[in-house]
Order: sequence, then C-alpha cells, then structure tokens
Amino acid sequence: MIWKILEVLIFPGALFILAMSLFYEWVDRKLYARLQNRVGPHLAGPFGIFQPIADLIKLLSKEDIVPAAADKFLFTFTPIIAPTLILFGCMFLPIAGPSGIISINGDLIILIALMSLFTVIIYLAGEGSNNRLASIGATRAALQLVGYEIPLTLALLCGAISARSLSLRGIVEAQTSYGSWIIAGPQIIGFAIFIVTAQAEMERTPFDIPEAEQEIVAGWSVEYGGRRLALFRLSRDLELFLLSGLGATVFLGGPSGPLIQGLEPFLHTIYFIAKSVVVLVIFTIFRAIFARLRIDQVLSFSWRYLMPLAILLVIITGVVA
Amino acid sequence: MGLISRLIRKCRAKSPWILLFDTGACNACDLEITACLTPRYDVERFGALLKGSPRHADILLVTGPVTRQARDRIIRIYEQMPEPKYVVSVGTCTTSGGVYWGCYNTYPGLDSVIPVHAYVSGCPVKPEAVLKALSVLVERIERGDI
Repeated sequence: MIWKILEVLIFPGALFILAMSLFYEWVDRKLYARLQNRVGPHLAGPFGIFQPIADLIKLLSKEDIVPAAADKFLFTFTPIIAPTLILFGCMFLPIAGPSGIISINGDLIILIALMSLFTVIIYLAGEGSNNRLASIGATRAALQLVGYEIPLTLALLCGAISARSLSLRGIVEAQTSYGSWIIAGPQIIGFAIFIVTAQAEMERTPFDIPEAEQEIVAGWSVEYGGRRLALFRLSRDLELFLLSGLGATVFLGGPSGPLIQGLEPFLHTIYFIAKSVVVLVIFTIFRAIFARLRIDQVLSFSWRYLMPLAILLVIITGVVA
Repeated sequence: MGLISRLIRKCRAKSPWILLFDTGACNACDLEITACLTPRYDVERFGALLKGSPRHADILLVTGPVTRQARDRIIRIYEQMPEPKYVVSVGTCTTSGGVYWGCYNTYPGLDSVIPVHAYVSGCPVKPEAVLKALSVLVERIERGDI
C-alpha cells in the first residue's frame, strides 16, 4: 500500500511528472531560441534549466487579482481543474514499466476525452473572465477543437487498430511482441497527423489562434495573472509532457527496448524519456518553422485534407492489420 | 530574511516579464526595444518575455512623452498589473518630456504620474542601454532594495 502511494505521489507519479514537464518546457524554449539563432534562457541555473521553475515560483508569489466583472466561480475553479485533468491523464502514461500507474481497458479513449475536456475548461476560463478579448479567444479555442479533434482521435485509433488493443499497456506490449514500432509501415502518416493535430491541441504556433498575441493580446488567458496564470502555464507544460509521451507510446514503442535484468524500471524510464524528447523536438521544430494560420484556414485544412487522410488511413490500417 | 523570501526574490529576478506601453511616441524607442528581442541582443537570456497582457507582466516599459491623453491610460494599465510591479521609463521624452518639455499637453516626466524604478536616457535609446537598465533593476530586485 505504502509503495503504491509513493508511486502515485513521487515516482513515476505527480512529482516526477511535474519535474519532467518543467524540464520539457525548458527543452522546448531553449531549442526554439537556438533555431531562431538566439541563446534562449541561460542565466537561471546551468544553461537556464531552472527558468520554468523560476517563472512558476514568481507567478505563484504575485498578487492575486479577480476582476470585478468576472464570474467568481469559473475564475476560481478553472485554473485548478485544468492542471488536475492533465496530471490525471499523465498517470495513464507507461513511464516506468509497460503499464502506467492507472491501467484499464480503453484508457486511450479516456485520454482523448480528457484532452477534449481540457479545451472545454479553456473555453469556460475565457468566457468566465468576462473580457471581450478573452471571449474571442475562448470561442476560437472551441472552434479550433471542431477542426482537429476528429483527426487526432482517428490517428490515435489507427495505432490502436494496428496493435489490436485500446489500452496503452496493450499497445506497448503489441509493439514489444512484434519487435517493431507501430510507426514502421503506413502508420508514419498517422504519426504525421498526430504531430499536426497535437500541435493544435496544445495551441502552439501554427495553431496558436486562441491566444494570438498580436491580435487579441493573450486570448482566453488575458485576465489571468499571478497564481492562476501559473496553474494554466503548468497545465500547458503538463500537456506538452502528456502529448509527447502519448506520441512516443502509441507510435514509437513507449518504454520498450533492450532490458537488463534487475534494472527494468530505470531502463524503461530512460527509453520513455528519450523517445518522448524525440517527439518533443519534432513539436518544437514544427513550432519554429511555421507562422500563425487564420482560424478559417485551420478549419478548412483539417476538414479538407486531414480528415479524408485520417479516414483513408483507418481503412488501410483495418485492411492491413 | 527567510529562505523562502530569498528564493522568491531570486525567482522574481530571474523572470522579469515585460509589457511595452507606447504613449504615442515617434516609434524609435519601440523599435530599439524590439531590437532587444532579436538574436543580436536576445533579452530572453535573462528570462524576460514580452507579454501582451498587463496581468501577466512584471515590468512596464513606457516610451514616448506622457501626454494628457495618455496619462489616464498609463495609470489604468499600471493598476491592472499585479504586485510586485516595476516601471522603467525609456527615452528622454518619457523621462523628462524631451523636446516636448514645457508643452501645454505633456507632463514633465513619467514620475509625475506613476512611480518609476529605472530611467533610460537617449533619443532613441540604445538596446544596450535598455538591457543595462533591466539588469540593474533585476539586481536591485534580487537584493531586495525595491
């Protein structure tokens, strides 16, 4: 029992996931800066590795402002629910073994549902702050969800169909027993669709329409400052960790790899982190080389090209597998 | 002088997020501040990010002469920022009125409107001067002077 509690709270649970998500934000920012020929954060700790922690503590220590016009209930609870949802989702990731802390049949579906729910929370957060810019941002977030949600689900389902399992544990075990990763074969297209739609899910640069800084200041988060903003930033980092981990698990074999007797949890963690950092690097390069699209461009792109491609891929996967 | 307050001061010094307010200046100072974000000067080295919303920002950079029209807006933006907040007056116009000194529609400096923590002089300012002002401000935050 005590081991289970430690597992949930420390490794590979909450504390480890939070530390890794802050580390991922640093990798993302540093690589982004290097791709733009800048130095990036480098004064907070060695190579600026403590920059996300400094940002987090600074925001937590700032004054807490609730605008008079804001909906008090939504303004208070959405920043708490947002990181909780994503942290709960991260518990499903198989980090230190073939199965996560929570492993049930069909947890892939739960993860997809959690990610959609997160966007709903963002919509509520934007509308609850009762600011016209936040309202525009929130509407854009909900509209964008209509575009990318179905291709994302279909791309992940293609991985599940080729592994013949809807649980992450089953997908990892199938890849171990086949001896090759799911990305080998037609699923390379599925991986590409996943990368594009996950970028939209995280509202990163080609799809950062809901928080477009040059048009609508900061989008849905415009009224959130201090510790509420800290929680939203944290949930963004956790989402980065969740989606890179999910991509690594479904398409790149997750924590599987050559093992040494007695060192399994350690090696599993190393493989998981290495593979998800590869996915993270792809995310960051994607973010650095594109400019922001308009909302209608995103919707028409995803309904005209991504959707038929994803449906075609499902049919191909069904025939092949 | 507890350990926690020292940690918080250090974190504040390591992540100064910037908000740029232009009172209707000639844009030269704004361009020089934008140059700070480019690869040549890269203010993100100090952990600084340019933010759009006053609720997210720590440091308010004000450029341009403080006109009667802009005064109320500056005060409003300043009051929207959460504590602790710092103000840097960028350029001669903002610091003293510059060529508009004594005009019927300008104030003789930003510090007659809101408290100012650092001044940068120049017309326009040099990006190095803005970086110097930021680093001095950050050092003072870390020492706990302000």
